[in-house]
Amino acid sequence: MKANLTPPTRITHVDINSYFATLLQQENPALRGKPIGVLKSAGRTCIIAASKEAKTFGVKTGSYLKEALQLAPHLITVPAEFDRYLDCTRRLKQIFVELSPDVHIFSLDEAFIDITHCQHIYPDAQAFGRLVQERIKQELGEWVTCSVGISHNRLLAKLASEITRPDSIFEITEQNKDAILAKVGFKDMCGVGRRLEEKLKLLGITHPYELNFWTEAELRPTFGPFWAPELKRIGAGENSHLLSLLDKQESQPMKSVGRTITGYQLCDSELHIRQTLYNLTEELIYKVRKMKMAGRHVGISLWGEEQSWYAHRTLQYHVRQTRELFKLLYNDLYQSWHRTFKVIKFGVFLSDLEFVDDLTPTLIPEWHRQERVSQAIDAVTAKYGLFSIKPASLIGFKMIRPEVTGFLGDKKYYGL
Amino acid sequence: MYQRINEVVEVVGSYTGRGFTPKRFKWQNNIYDIDQITLKNDARDGGRHLRFYSVIVKGNAYRLRFDRDEEKWLLEEVWYEG
Repeated sequence: MKANLTPPTRITHVDINSYFATLLQQENPALRGKPIGVLKSAGRTCIIAASKEAKTFGVKTGSYLKEALQLAPHLITVPAEFDRYLDCTRRLKQIFVELSPDVHIFSLDEAFIDITHCQHIYPDAQAFGRLVQERIKQELGEWVTCSVGISHNRLLAKLASEITRPDSIFEITEQNKDAILAKVGFKDMCGVGRRLEEKLKLLGITHPYELNFWTEAELRPTFGPFWAPELKRIGAGENSHLLSLLDKQESQPMKSVGRTITGYQLCDSELHIRQTLYNLTEELIYKVRKMKMAGRHVGISLWGEEQSWYAHRTLQYHVRQTRELFKLLYNDLYQSWHRTFKVIKFGVFLSDLEFVDDLTPTLIPEWHRQERVSQAIDAVTAKYGLFSIKPASLIGFKMIRPEVTGFLGDKKYYGL
Repeated sequence: MYQRINEVVEVVGSYTGRGFTPKRFKWQNNIYDIDQITLKNDARDGGRHLRFYSVIVKGNAYRLRFDRDEEKWLLEEVWYEG
């Protein structure tokens, strides 16, 4: 009888504990052991990350500052340092790829490391987890800890790191899987958001394991043809479709680029709205041009206190110049709408991206003239930084600079 | 809170197998001997390469910034309690 030579799948999920706050505490010993709330920038009122100590008081991501201070009166607030987080994530990736060739950076502070084909080097997955923890401390500092989850698929590996204590290692096996799925809530399951959780609760389903008592046909009327089978997979502890797509996404170029910004206060100034949209468009085009791409689906979104507005258009051609995109977004889409509310959040996107080399060049002379100007600006930007050159309409406007998001939606742009 | 300073400083250090390690800096005619480097990170602004060192001097935290292209050191921020 031929021996089964396929090694058992072993996937680890590494999750740096309270990443943003932990790095600030690593940097400044005066902050260690204290409740820290990280704000996007000084003056903001929403906590985007909380230290382990702040979490014990009930402070969490998304808490308003006022509520957080009621929960933890000694809370220290510190502005985020996104450049630092991005650089540290790059260094983390370097550590991981030295340990295994199968690494997927899932977000700024999480990664999947597949050691299925490295088991001759790491026969003990728990020992591998300790090695990862040690290497992270050596590289980033003794205060930086992580939780490591181990299992035979990404869903369960991530669940394992989610439910274990900070700075610990936990494995979900075939033996303990069902008991764990019967105990955890949906908030611990990757891919299940609050709205889905509420819908499940209306059906009386509060733990993933309970999904095994429902058929796909019974779930479909409430959850539709995608989520019904997906929930069944989650209930059985199988890899979700979304997580299994990560390998495919790895080899594919970016399909869209977007940028949103929330203002400090509601805005009713047409000038400010115009300037903000231009700023965001400039950043969008900078990224698209850097990747040598162009897109043909353009969109704009604006949010007020309780209202929102959204418009988009698919073009017959691709765009990759700031003025061209801004004209579409502002002159064509925005100005065709009569604004009825003050704006707090702005968003622009460009999708259906293709590489420029794969596109048929245009014959329009004006476009080529603008392209030469754009290329000259690209050269100055490459040397002196983004917004070294800006239009007269933005003089006096406090430029909104690029920032990396926690879930790394544009990680390909950052080379992660 | 961190207080922004952004003043040019003079830095002395050593090159080892792991790159440059700042040992002390001079700010406003005072010498600061670095007790510990707690974090180091790189950033780019266009073509400018920047390296940041978070250092501790007598229990207080400072952020130094080195512009690798202009070879200039800046004391970027100092931590103030309260």
